[in-house]
Amino acid sequence: MILRGIGASGGVGMGPAVCLRAAAPDRAGRGYAGVEDERARLRAASCQVERETAALAERMRVRAGESEPAILTGQITMLRDPELELQLDRAIQEGETAEAAVDAVFGGYIRLFEGLEDERMRLRAADIRDLQSRLLRALLGRREADLSRLPAGCVLVTRELTPSMAVGLDRERVAAILTETGGSASHAAILTRALGIPAVLGAAGALQAVENGELVLVDGDAGTALPRPGRKEQEEYRTRRAALLRRQARLEPYRRRPTVDGDGRRLRLYANVGHPAEAVRAAAEGAEGIGLLRTEFLFLDRAEPPTEEEQLAAYLAAARPFPRGEVVIRTLDAGGDKRIPWLALPQERNPFLGCRGLRASFAQPELFRVQLRALLRAGAEAPGLRVLLPMATSVSEVRKVRAMLAQCAVELEREGMACRLELPLGVMVETPAAARTADLLAQESDFFSIGTNDLTQYILAADRNAPEAKRLYTPFHPAVLRELRDVIRAGRQAGIPVGLCGEAAADPELLPLLLAWGLEELSVSPALLLETRARIAGWTAAEAGAVERQVMALAGPEEIRAYYDAWPHN
Amino acid sequence: MVSRCATVAHPQGLHMRPAQILVNAMGKYPCEVTILTEGRQINGKSILSVLSACIRQGSEIEIRCSGEEEQAALEEAAALI
Repeated sequence: MILRGIGASGGVGMGPAVCLRAAAPDRAGRGYAGVEDERARLRAASCQVERETAALAERMRVRAGESEPAILTGQITMLRDPELELQLDRAIQEGETAEAAVDAVFGGYIRLFEGLEDERMRLRAADIRDLQSRLLRALLGRREADLSRLPAGCVLVTRELTPSMAVGLDRERVAAILTETGGSASHAAILTRALGIPAVLGAAGALQAVENGELVLVDGDAGTALPRPGRKEQEEYRTRRAALLRRQARLEPYRRRPTVDGDGRRLRLYANVGHPAEAVRAAAEGAEGIGLLRTEFLFLDRAEPPTEEEQLAAYLAAARPFPRGEVVIRTLDAGGDKRIPWLALPQERNPFLGCRGLRASFAQPELFRVQLRALLRAGAEAPGLRVLLPMATSVSEVRKVRAMLAQCAVELEREGMACRLELPLGVMVETPAAARTADLLAQESDFFSIGTNDLTQYILAADRNAPEAKRLYTPFHPAVLRELRDVIRAGRQAGIPVGLCGEAAADPELLPLLLAWGLEELSVSPALLLETRARIAGWTAAEAGAVERQVMALAGPEEIRAYYDAWPHN
Repeated sequence: MVSRCATVAHPQGLHMRPAQILVNAMGKYPCEVTILTEGRQINGKSILSVLSACIRQGSEIEIRCSGEEEQAALEEAAALI
């Protein structure tokens, strides 16, 4: 049986499956072994969970630079809580098994925390619940999945790939990824692409169809997965693998070439990254700078906001591989599909139209000021640093951030800190409001970066992750194409740089249009840098202009699709 | 027994990180550490008790230490709050 999902990250991978199933621990049928034995079992389980948690915290510390994984160290403190230990021991003395004691005592704390008025404290209930299930697993002898120690060459099969899981993945070990939920523009998808691991997301029933250890073939280009492939399919896989390796060899020379079109016009090719570690990979892959550093990684997987020093260290780490290039850092883009539990943003019926991006930052001005201060300080050491504002919809928002930056700079100077007095401030053009008023925004901004993922979904009113609406989601709709054209023109007329950092930047069919409109900067995920550079070199202005005239004369996405299907370049 | 009143200075109140630092520091002392807040007595060595008390910035609390090294424990607790 073939499984169908969304090809989120291209390429093919085959290997034995490692299935991550969140099984509910079954604790029936164990009898009470006496006070001493139950105590010893609980102690052993508690030590095991503590060791695992400490190891995880250490790995996160190494991976995320200097950030302190407070949730994890907090869990260790909880495990050692004397009141908790007392209650567990009392339950065991009263004749409960270790499992039943953990069930009852942790259950009581979960209810206590869930009933608290302070919303951020209520969130701690999840940490306690996590600790409870891990203790139960340890008591029942089940091991936690460890993504950094997967067997080499395996295919990871899981219900959902969270961004924090994706950060732990290693291209050398994971041949492919198969999940039951998630869409192609989800952040998990973007991360799998950045890592260069073939991935099929949203394949319903994957965990039922695949058994642990069975061979699975994942085709990230077609969006399909085949459990137990036959000899013929395995042969085809090897042929495709070989073709892929040949393609990599063909692209290799572009690693050190400048980015120029067929006429020799120079463009800037940057990388989109979600972590300083990815910036290192991007530099190795031939990026000339960072067109988008998402800063959400600093705020995820922790209990409290990152400090100014931590942010400063992360920004400098991302800028270090590009001593002469530009590094565009986007301020926190929380909200929408990026929930940050401790941020206590309002529960909204429509989070994509609610408090997200810049709005969420304005709603938490103290938090925002810490980020702006860290950026100003990083700017003192990283001359190419630029600040990008997500979800801006009007000039007043840009003015407000500029005023906050100026005030932060004055304060930093007064405190004797090295900082820049001003930073180039750009708007991420990703709302129809920003796109329509690009000429006005250009008067207040130092640069534009077009975010096609959200812009497309907002213009077409089509959720890129909704099964029924994603069919409508395409940048190749005249409404989106006209908007892209006009924003690029508005930026050029105002004399400010315009870049494009959405996934459309790597779309070979969109490329001639972008070149015809005079776009000078493309930012793509590190895995697509060389391919994009090679494609840019293949277009002269005259050829790109001819494609643009034909496409822009078409009435709808279906006609445009038909045009491209007959395209000689395909 | 020694005791002292203090006002919580952390902008986040005694949230995860400050509570963790306090509890870990108190755990080093052999004496008992009690925090009195809004008429309740909580164990100053228990992270779950301190967190569930939801002690906010500006709250007036009393710290009581009783037993061996009580003075040193009190000094450190006051400095951390």
